[in-house]
Amino acid sequence: MDRQRCELMRELQEVSFALVELNLFLDNNPTNQQALADYNMFARKYEELKKMYESLYGPLTNFGYAPSKYPWQWVNEPWPWE
Amino acid sequence: MQKRELARAYIPRQPYVRLFPLREALMRGTIFPNLYMPYREKDR
Repeated sequence: MDRQRCELMRELQEVSFALVELNLFLDNNPTNQQALADYNMFARKYEELKKMYESLYGPLTNFGYAPSKYPWQWVNEPWPWE
Repeated sequence: MQKRELARAYIPRQPYVRLFPLREALMRGTIFPNLYMPYREKDR
């Protein structure tokens, strides 16, 4: 997997970890506005990175998020975990 | 600790202070500096 692709994957993992953490914090503190603002900022960032990754390297998950380019992309390797 | 009853769990509110930079957070296992409490080698 080339370096740029690895780096983008790494960023996705970092941002999704931040989202899990804020998700848990907000479960306990649902009215914390600063935490919510940070969550929303990371959610937008995640969306942005995901679009970038998928447009360059193909889908990250099997369905529900990204439409497939022609031809069907789910038969292409390597997958994000490979 | 004298006023604490036996077998009561308690969880203080976690203040929202600041966040680790994202790369650091992933390495440390938490994004919250106030939850970062690694076991030290000499405590084992």
